[in-house]
Amino acid sequence: MAVKMSKIRGIANKLHERIDCLIEKCPNMTAAPYNYNYIFKYIIIGDMGVGKSCLLHQFTEKKFMANCPHTIGVEFGTRIIEVDDKKIKLQIWDTAGQERFRAVTRSYYRGAAGALMVYDITRRSTYNHLSSWLTDTRNLTNPSTVIFLIGNKSDLESTREVTYEEAKEFADENGLMFLEASAMTGQNVEEAFLETARKIYQNIQEGRLDLNASESGVQHRPSQPTRTSLSSEAANVKDQCSC
Amino acid sequence: MESVGDHVPNGLTGVKSNLEIVRERFKEDEIILYLFEAYQIKGPEDANRLLALVSSESGGTFAIISFSFVRTPLTSVNELIVNKVFAIDESFQLQQDCKGSITAYQFDLSTAEDGPIKYYFYPSESASYEEFVAKIISCKSSMARSDPETVLNFRWLNDYRQIGEVKQELKKRESEYIVYKDIIIYCATWNVNNKPCCDSPDGLRSWLGCSERAPDIYAIGLQELDTPAKAMLNSTQVQASVAQWNEKMVQSVHPDVEYEILQYHRLVGIMLTVIVRKQLRQHILRCRFKSVARGVLNTLGNKGGVAISLQLNEGHICFVNSHLAAHMGYVEERNQDYNAIVDGLRFDDGRTISDHDHIFWLGDLNYRIQEPPGQQRPGPLTDAQTYELLLQYDQLRQEMRKGKCFEGYTEGEIKFRPTYKYDPGTDNYDSSEKQRAPAYCDRVLWKGTRIEQLAYNSIMDIRQSDHKPVYAVFRVKIKTRDEVKYKRVQEEVLKAVDKRENDNQPQISVEKTVIDFGRVRFNEPCMQDFNVYNSCPLPVDFSFKEKDIHDICEKWLQVDPRKDSLMIDSARSIRIKMVADVHTIRGLLKKIRTSDNFDILILHVENGRDIFITVTGDYQPSCFGLSMETMCRTDRPLSEYSQEQIKHLMNDDSQEYCVTMPREFFLLIDYLHKQGSKLEGGFHTFEPRKSVNAHFNVVRDWLDTWSDEEFPGTPQSAAQALLLLLDLPEQALLEPFVEDLLACNSKSKAMDYIALLSPPKRNVFMHLCMFLREGIECQYYELHQVAVTFGRILLRSSECKAWPDYKVRCSQFMRLFIESDGADSLANRNEGAGAGSKADLPAA
Repeated sequence: MAVKMSKIRGIANKLHERIDCLIEKCPNMTAAPYNYNYIFKYIIIGDMGVGKSCLLHQFTEKKFMANCPHTIGVEFGTRIIEVDDKKIKLQIWDTAGQERFRAVTRSYYRGAAGALMVYDITRRSTYNHLSSWLTDTRNLTNPSTVIFLIGNKSDLESTREVTYEEAKEFADENGLMFLEASAMTGQNVEEAFLETARKIYQNIQEGRLDLNASESGVQHRPSQPTRTSLSSEAANVKDQCSC
Repeated sequence: MESVGDHVPNGLTGVKSNLEIVRERFKEDEIILYLFEAYQIKGPEDANRLLALVSSESGGTFAIISFSFVRTPLTSVNELIVNKVFAIDESFQLQQDCKGSITAYQFDLSTAEDGPIKYYFYPSESASYEEFVAKIISCKSSMARSDPETVLNFRWLNDYRQIGEVKQELKKRESEYIVYKDIIIYCATWNVNNKPCCDSPDGLRSWLGCSERAPDIYAIGLQELDTPAKAMLNSTQVQASVAQWNEKMVQSVHPDVEYEILQYHRLVGIMLTVIVRKQLRQHILRCRFKSVARGVLNTLGNKGGVAISLQLNEGHICFVNSHLAAHMGYVEERNQDYNAIVDGLRFDDGRTISDHDHIFWLGDLNYRIQEPPGQQRPGPLTDAQTYELLLQYDQLRQEMRKGKCFEGYTEGEIKFRPTYKYDPGTDNYDSSEKQRAPAYCDRVLWKGTRIEQLAYNSIMDIRQSDHKPVYAVFRVKIKTRDEVKYKRVQEEVLKAVDKRENDNQPQISVEKTVIDFGRVRFNEPCMQDFNVYNSCPLPVDFSFKEKDIHDICEKWLQVDPRKDSLMIDSARSIRIKMVADVHTIRGLLKKIRTSDNFDILILHVENGRDIFITVTGDYQPSCFGLSMETMCRTDRPLSEYSQEQIKHLMNDDSQEYCVTMPREFFLLIDYLHKQGSKLEGGFHTFEPRKSVNAHFNVVRDWLDTWSDEEFPGTPQSAAQALLLLLDLPEQALLEPFVEDLLACNSKSKAMDYIALLSPPKRNVFMHLCMFLREGIECQYYELHQVAVTFGRILLRSSECKAWPDYKVRCSQFMRLFIESDGADSLANRNEGAGAGSKADLPAA
């Protein structure tokens, strides 16, 4: 009797399993313990005194940091942003610009998904050095790294030494995204950081950035239950941002 | 310590106690039973912990949550950081440890996931410790008393585990963006008595289309769908039948709006179908189903329940369709079936039926009317009084009153005839031999908040089954996010979290970022200390980061400690030792050639910034390690040069030299030459890179000052200095021709290459060979040993080293130049010593 019963139980269980398999339709939406879907690593590079730390501070704190001390090392800031309904945590490494740290800071380029290359529109020398910063970036990051050129201190129009047109031409020639910004007034700061993220996200969506590569600078987190509907997963993939 | 009951405020009114602040961290139905202050030992310091023993009303369980905090008394709930969570379940253990080496005041907490974690407490807390333990023990035993079959619900703890901070914050501020939206839910149940689905187009409309307003969600339960035997055996036929019924249902729902099937699930003959308005579907965030089989042997599933769980906006809704045990006398079996479904049903996300805000239970529950003595079978009853009378004997109501089943459920007023048992096709009660008593088998019950029943009725004019279909309509207020408000709150929360993360970044400050050693001399180690402080309200781990040289620093530096932890408000001294000796001088000089500093160290703060520590100093040049060319460019003793000047000379690649051979080299050779046989043991015993002690420094100074004094050391130390002078430069003396020279088998051929050496190198080589040859001729030194020792130094090569006969070739090469008979060819010695070599010798 006992044998028979366990046999019947087995058959019954199998049947139920099969029915379950056949009918299961709903996507598995388990809660993930993260605040974000992706982490993007950024680096900020450029000559000393062009305002790298101030740009970072303006972006994370929405405040201008007057009398900003020289960065002796690498500062670190984070902010969670949203691109295409996805939460992205930006991990921003702000590097020392002093020439003597150049060799050491090179080790921070690795694995950056975005590089913000900054010069000071009121000091031509900082603009002239861009090609050497660009060479470093190209050599030390992977080909899909998004490089964004920022001409900082756009509020200091009267002492400008580099015209917008000239820098724009340089950016276009080298395939860089470009904006003039002001860490002081906050003008275009948000845009530069967000545009970079959008471009990286677009690269992911279009398969130009391999998330599995160890140095992509992007980490993916399992999606959290956002306000997506049962069928919107497919829609999200189709939906590209237009940057 | 404070316990809930006898809490005394700190004396100052308006100042919150620790307990009050910790309480803010928890939800309303979570009660702090005890708060105990303990500490853990992290690194060399103590880390304070607050252990909160908490009971959750909704979960019905207990847990201990360990917080780390900055200071006590606490000033804000934000200072609390959850550090560990211990669920008090079967595996939970509190172990008192009396054997500990540090203090007897310690205990371990462990659970199945974590185990054992040590806590210490202050002797002054002993009394409250006893109380704390007593409370834990009583919590644990109250757990043990509960039914061993029940699975303990600790889901409430997820809010304190590694769940995203943003989610927690959003949850806390829920009231700011949650609104309640009315939806209409239509529940329907029918035991179809194995009859096929009827064909008429409006067949089910009278059952499913009874609400005025178009419902948002339908939950339709059928029982006895096809025969159980067929259901087991013929799946295609069953599928067809299921599809037919579902199609019919969708056709028969309220005509005003478009609907679609969200989900259906079937257990043998019990099927539950959830149909929703098409527009609503995008708001359904989650949908799961599960069944519990009962019936024959409690496994076959001819009885049992199926359930569908869904999340609509922020509301969790559960529908259950069950077919419980039949027959008048089987009340207890029905109760058992009910309990088995409640206990056994667990959706894939772990949710049970009771984990929903709104639960609707429908089905053929099969509870009968316990025939009252003397009461006739009810006829075509229509008046409320009679229903009232019948319901007094309704088994379901009786069992519910006794608390045997459907605890917490509500049922609306029944104003319809018993739905069972009819002669199919008629409105007449069972006229068969069995003469079954009519009963309210088919019911709809609900449990949960914000539910209002609008209708509850049976349909008489659907006659194909021996049961009449039943329906109930509800208005439910569903928790919904106001998207605009939610977006605003979410943005604020994100900002706050970002800010907290950036503000709470571990920070350390360093006393200085430039470590200047001042004067650094060859073979004289020196040290510098500097302090690092923890300048943030968190314990901080720091370490020196490995650089691309595969170490944290260059070879001439030593750092201690390389990593450590800093408790709040503490400091640590870091010692850097600089050693420019025979092992490191080559690298150091190379560094000096290209850089202004000795090294840059990366002081890394775990989860925080990196600080660059520049190590610098003023290296006092010495002849050791310098190339022959550099030394020939000096026009004064090396002690009179600065680091900057020697850097300039090292980078000078002109062919102009002040002398033909380094004076330091010449002086050593001259001294050794005069000493002759006094160099006991010759050169063969020297391992030049070892045994360079502080006494050697007088020799260094004698050389670096071009001293007129007598040589201050022994012939042995002069020999050692000579070997070091030749061995320490980055390039071997005979580079760049070492490989070519090792391949030469005749002296004349070798001389072609020697002639190509830079003049200082060539002169040193020839002068050295002449000196050695004389020494060998005079039998001061032994030929073989000299050939081996000098061969390996002058022909040092990392590439050729791998050759199997490298060592042999080195000494063979040397012999060409130092053997007294001046043999040229190794194969046939037919030429004398190259006359040219003597002519090349320089006048120093």
